[in-house]
Amino acid sequence: MDERFDCIIVGGGPAGLAAAMTLARADARFLLVERGEWSGAKNVSGGVLWGRDLARLVPNYWEEEDAGWERFVNHRRLTFMDDGASFSLDFKSDHFNTPPYTGLTVLRSRFDAWLAGKVDEVLEESEHGESLLATDILVEEVIKENDKVTGIRAGGEEFFADCVILAEGVNNLLTRQVGLQTDYVPAEGLAVGVKEVIRFEESVLRDRFQLGERSGMSNEFVGYASDGVEGGGFLYTNRDSVSIGLVLGMADLRKAGKKPYDLLNQFKTHPTVADAIRGGEVLEYNAKVVSTGDMRVMPKEIYADGVLVAGEAANLVLNAGRAIQGMDYAMRSGILAAETVVEAKKVQDFSEAFLQHYRTALDNSYVMQDLRGFQQAVQVLHSPAMFQQVPRLVCDFGREFFTVDNKPTKKAYQILRDVRKEHIGYWDLIKLGSRAARAL
Amino acid sequence: MSENVNTLSIAERLGKVAYRNQGRTEAKPHILVETDICNTTCPHKCTTYVCPANCYTLDEVGKVHFQFEDCIECGTCMYACDQGAVTWRYPDPEDGRGVNWNMG
Repeated sequence: MDERFDCIIVGGGPAGLAAAMTLARADARFLLVERGEWSGAKNVSGGVLWGRDLARLVPNYWEEEDAGWERFVNHRRLTFMDDGASFSLDFKSDHFNTPPYTGLTVLRSRFDAWLAGKVDEVLEESEHGESLLATDILVEEVIKENDKVTGIRAGGEEFFADCVILAEGVNNLLTRQVGLQTDYVPAEGLAVGVKEVIRFEESVLRDRFQLGERSGMSNEFVGYASDGVEGGGFLYTNRDSVSIGLVLGMADLRKAGKKPYDLLNQFKTHPTVADAIRGGEVLEYNAKVVSTGDMRVMPKEIYADGVLVAGEAANLVLNAGRAIQGMDYAMRSGILAAETVVEAKKVQDFSEAFLQHYRTALDNSYVMQDLRGFQQAVQVLHSPAMFQQVPRLVCDFGREFFTVDNKPTKKAYQILRDVRKEHIGYWDLIKLGSRAARAL
Repeated sequence: MSENVNTLSIAERLGKVAYRNQGRTEAKPHILVETDICNTTCPHKCTTYVCPANCYTLDEVGKVHFQFEDCIECGTCMYACDQGAVTWRYPDPEDGRGVNWNMG
């Protein structure tokens, strides 16, 4: 093929599709190459798509009956666990009920495919019709000429473009090939996610979790969930299933010598979790490497001559204790990368110097502001006390505070003082508390 | 311990994964593992427990064996192995193995 594109996008996930949508609307000529049989066939998330960026890509997506998302989140819960108890912070609010929603549960095989369909719709309406979403093709190599990226090699053929957007996901082999990421990325700063999708009758699911027609719950778990390994658990409600899983710090898992699927079984048999998922049928088991938001493992740079890196290929994921964000970052970075390409096309300058505008735009967006601003939080949340002593302390407090057994009752502060002594030194708790207060 | 909770073995879990090119008698491996390194100098053999698809196993004399057929393409082994034994690539859509997620 000797056609030439304005841009080649590698990867048809949220980052790549957001870039494609942006280019399609700007009438730029692009080729998106996805290695899965369809967009989403290779993709896994927890997953909640947080924030409102989807509405930038698909305005009024909530009016569409068969849109690719599962439920909007109007009920959030953070649960601390020890081996027998759970203590939750629980927040439900009707302000979450108004679109554009701020959280959507998704199953990626469906969601990404739907989003790809939306890009195709825009392409069909556009006059040029020369852009293309190509699936089932693996990009083997990025082509460089005189240190500038000029195209890709895929399926034995070469394709050329003014620039390439790498949206290949966390296992960013091409980002490494072009020299933006080191060849070996160490386990520190990455996590392993394992998950099951468990099906229920929709009426059972709605009754059990008090869900409306399309409203849903997100629940994160700290403590026993990960059995002392850095990380935590999650449970999200889909239309007629729940996604339940763990995200485990990879280096810590290696040190602990534990198997992720054993920990998942243990999590599922915790009395609180067992009650929530009783009677469901496991539909699928998934695993995925997850970036943790630790900027030390990010690529050295996210642009070079003729190339831009977006989404989790740039390790744009953050868990700062409020939400595990990544798909929203992917979309925003994809949009900003594509906007930079559109500008570059106007002046016919795809050099490193011009593509730096992408870096500036991302730096000025919430994505990099949050990633930078919450680096301390990432470190605090990785400290063993946060997933070991603190959840146990909280559960011991709850056990005593909520138990009425016709003995003289202790005041809350006495209970707190007593359980604190059992689990953590006074000064250690003060230090952790003040660190967390500043960081979170 | 509560009743009726569907804890699954890893074999049962992998039984719920849709793999590509199942009909092919021989798929092309996408991950190469120098098990010589695992079996001589590696101090932890961590892939035998961190791999979410149990693709790395220990035999009765403690030797590491690798099979790619059950791989669900997560990438864990390429980061967890700090001994340089794992060369990780994506499976070829045409003649490789790998997954087709139905949920994801």
